[in-house]
Amino acid sequence: MPTVTIDSYPVEVEAGATILDAANKAGIWIPTLCYHPAVSHPAICRLCMVELDRGTWKQLVTACNYPVRRDIVVSVSSEAAAGARRGVMELLLARAPESKPLQALARRIGVEKTPYPAVSKTQRDCILCGLCTAVCEEVIGRAAIGFSGRGQTRAVSAPFRQPAENCIGCGACAAVCPVGTIQLRFHEKEGEIEISPFKTRAKMLACKQCGARVASVPVVEEALRKAKIDWKKFKEITQLCAKCRRKAAASQLTDVAAMASQLGYLGGREPVASGGKSKTRPVGGRKSRAGK
Amino acid sequence: MAKDTVAKEELIDDIVRRYDADVGMLIPMMQDLQAECGYLQVDQLRRLAGRLDLPLSRLYAVATFYASFRLSPKGRHEVTLCVGTVCHLKGAGAISEMIQKEFQVEAGGTTPDGLFSFQPVNCVGACALAPVMIVDGKYYDGMGPDSVRKILRGLPMEEGAAERKARK
Amino acid sequence: MTVATTKRLLSPADLQGMREELLARESPSAKCVRVCIGTGCVAKGSRRVYELFAEATKEVGAKAEAVKCVGCHGFCERGPIVVIQPGNVFYQRVEEPDVAEIFRETVVGGRVVERLLYQDAATGAKAKTAGEIPFYKAQQRIVLAHNGEIDPTNIEDYIAVGGYSALAKALATMTPEQVLSEVERSGLRGRGGGGFPTGRKWRSCRDAHGSPKYVICNGDEGDPGAFMDRSVMEGNPHAVIEGMIIGAYAIGSSLGYLYVRNEYPLAVQHLRHAIRQARDLGLVGEDILGSGFSFDIRINRGGGAFVCGESTALMASLEGRPGEPRAKYVHTVEHGLWDKPSNLNNVETWANVPTIINRGGDWFASIGTAKSKGTKVFSLVGEVVNTGLVEVPMGMTLRRIIYDIGGGVKNGKAFKAVQTGGPSGGCIPTQFLDARVDFEELTKLGSMMGSGGMIVMSEDTCMVNIARYFTNFLRDESCGKCTPCREGLAQMLYILDHITHGEGQPGDIERLEALGELLAGTALCALGKTAANPILSTIRYFRDEYDAHIMDKRCPAKQCRGLFRYSIAVELCKACGLCRKHCPVDAIAGEKKVPHVIDQQKCTRCGMCLEKCPFNAVVKV
Repeated sequence: MPTVTIDSYPVEVEAGATILDAANKAGIWIPTLCYHPAVSHPAICRLCMVELDRGTWKQLVTACNYPVRRDIVVSVSSEAAAGARRGVMELLLARAPESKPLQALARRIGVEKTPYPAVSKTQRDCILCGLCTAVCEEVIGRAAIGFSGRGQTRAVSAPFRQPAENCIGCGACAAVCPVGTIQLRFHEKEGEIEISPFKTRAKMLACKQCGARVASVPVVEEALRKAKIDWKKFKEITQLCAKCRRKAAASQLTDVAAMASQLGYLGGREPVASGGKSKTRPVGGRKSRAGK
Repeated sequence: MAKDTVAKEELIDDIVRRYDADVGMLIPMMQDLQAECGYLQVDQLRRLAGRLDLPLSRLYAVATFYASFRLSPKGRHEVTLCVGTVCHLKGAGAISEMIQKEFQVEAGGTTPDGLFSFQPVNCVGACALAPVMIVDGKYYDGMGPDSVRKILRGLPMEEGAAERKARK
Repeated sequence: MTVATTKRLLSPADLQGMREELLARESPSAKCVRVCIGTGCVAKGSRRVYELFAEATKEVGAKAEAVKCVGCHGFCERGPIVVIQPGNVFYQRVEEPDVAEIFRETVVGGRVVERLLYQDAATGAKAKTAGEIPFYKAQQRIVLAHNGEIDPTNIEDYIAVGGYSALAKALATMTPEQVLSEVERSGLRGRGGGGFPTGRKWRSCRDAHGSPKYVICNGDEGDPGAFMDRSVMEGNPHAVIEGMIIGAYAIGSSLGYLYVRNEYPLAVQHLRHAIRQARDLGLVGEDILGSGFSFDIRINRGGGAFVCGESTALMASLEGRPGEPRAKYVHTVEHGLWDKPSNLNNVETWANVPTIINRGGDWFASIGTAKSKGTKVFSLVGEVVNTGLVEVPMGMTLRRIIYDIGGGVKNGKAFKAVQTGGPSGGCIPTQFLDARVDFEELTKLGSMMGSGGMIVMSEDTCMVNIARYFTNFLRDESCGKCTPCREGLAQMLYILDHITHGEGQPGDIERLEALGELLAGTALCALGKTAANPILSTIRYFRDEYDAHIMDKRCPAKQCRGLFRYSIAVELCKACGLCRKHCPVDAIAGEKKVPHVIDQQKCTRCGMCLEKCPFNAVVKV
């Protein structure tokens, strides 16, 4: 197992783990924005820069996706690394000047304000981190939204800027958005949930008993579609006493718990933007790539 | 109407078959589609996405990422202006400005009367002939604002090569 | 262009037999008219010239093969180019009315038409053949050896000059390991810009785990001003194909991709045709030349994105996705196209391979400098007298290339800088003209070799404007995925726009340098990392121009509108009154017979007077 000496502190990690994994193990905090354990890590935001000591020269690399394959020496707190992170944050603040979560993160790494003017047009402080599109494609398996354009015109949108056809109104995109750009809006009168700013709406299912709206209709349909009920197992369960039924159920639940933990719902990171508990639970959890 | 839809579906099937439904050939497929229809229509892209089992968002991402794709109909003629370094040094910038101002067309767009679509590109590899303009596939070398103005004003309003192809 | 036989070649002996048959058919004194149909000459009407020669040939009853289409000679400014055999008579700037005379005088009569020969501007000497032209004399053509000689749409021409003999040699007499060693020994380095040792890349791919393995050709030549690859793909497509098959054999790949940018339709056409002809002869496909080795090639096209020249972006494009690069902590030779081991090389790199196999790695390594072996094709363009493609051994000085071959700066202007390496490169000023061109040397000077673009700039070029041009280019072409490139380029352009409009602020240079450093350290791919090079190199060598723009609101090169003044030269003014009539702010005073004067207080520097003056009496000061 290779050793990562991070800010002079050695930690052993599995081969193929990232520098960020090593930092987490060592208890050293590195700021991130586009990183999320449940999706692939393309290291888009460039905030998690650290300095790799290669002996004769030093190299700035992104911690969230740099694979550790042999013993390496990393500095998180060097001036070059800290300076790089501050520089990137200043550019992000220029891009998303109104975002409170971004400003809070900026202050945490020592950036009070940005010296740059706002020169890029943005949709409501979007920093183009790609977490929403990644969650929709890899976790939900829908790819209802995606990136469009290139460079200055790059934006997250539903195809043709129409309400997304594939969207099931699960709200996972809002749950992972680190800067609060994506918001869930409830329209009581129509009984619909809206994913803003994608203009997509889905009907909410009303509880047959009390009328409370908890999940969207397409989410429920998707759950029913994906859930496979094993009638044979069900029959076996009916042959057990209550105590033994509980034991059987508990062993099944460990899988779900692992999934939920991965998504950050059990004592890990809380979803930042939805202000606490999210109103809908994301369905699924298996990484899937729509199409290929 | 139904016949038209069938023709459109056959076109998609044809294109998919041409490339063995190889997803890696998506860009050439979309280029062939655009060559047939003049531009990329939503319905056609939806059909293509379905045939290839890809989400529509992927095709939209590709259509908006690459400069050669257009999502709205193009003009009767296609005008391409090279704005590579050498052409720029020889005044392509001024030519581009003149075209945009006098013909009221933006880069990548079409004139209000639909006469031509204007696309600046970054280097067509004919640097010795700078500045270079291509109209409906025909190359013009050593261009200046006056010579370009003359050529564009002389473009016939009747069907040009671009439209003829789209009609086929 | 006919193919004598479509019988499959089942062994190296078959190939050799075909070659001998073709050579026997041709007489060295046979008459042949070679008309260039490269994009440059076509733009000047060479297709029509070809048609006229074909008609003339038919009329006298000669065989059709007497008139041939050939690929780009590289001297595009002098096109259309027509070469007459026997004698290799080199005619330039041939127009339709000239055809009849050439046919009558040279083809039939064996005489030379003097006025169509190249004439040296300095000495007045006329050159009968290409070899006598200074532009070609100092060149060493290995990659471009057969450009202008063979018909790129006829595989027989390629075979007749020895084509596919390297492939036969490799398959029949060498193991993959031996082929690999030969390329390693040659010292060949990537010609697309990276300069990575080709043999080492092949070996890493060969050693990587995973199957299938892919070989890829990067034909996305996006650097503006560079058209070397276009000329090779159009003029000698088989050289690239042969190189790829040999590489695939060495690496252990059975499928290759040729990725050609969308803006090169003729290259796509010729490559497609070439592959078809090669496949018909069995040089591509199953059991090539009876060796048991099988390999196929597919062509894929770009969609119009400069960033797709970057290897990971190219592979994303080959997977039908937007061309966004990815981190290279895991190399593409291990996980590339479809996550499989992939070896990507540039067009010119592949085109060098057959010659290396035929003449040996040691021979290749004997050319060039200690660390940069072989020749390099440069596209010498801009304010130079002779514009075109130049192939020279690595290590030739900039001065030799620009002056001896290029003929110096046009119109007697002073040399200011030469820009190399495209948008990732920099500008090299006069004091380094004696620098020897190789990978390390150009990097040391703050530029880079890049793909080979060499843009000559004269005293009339504003270097700040050049920096602005490249920054604008990169901002348009940035994929936009990572923060520093996307936002940083927009911020740098914002500053440069202000500077070139007379609104620069003290501290702007430091701000640009800080952004440049940030991009170099934090951008995701090479486009972003090197994006500030044009700015940094012009600051390094032309800081005085930046200072003039920022502090004095003045453009020393008199290019940036509003940052220089106009004045009327008294001795040239004919008092015609045109300038006064067109001045939008009535800033010009004068009457009949009295030289006109511009009131600098009122003048808005719009430039209308200079445009309108028929006597060139309005000058920039």
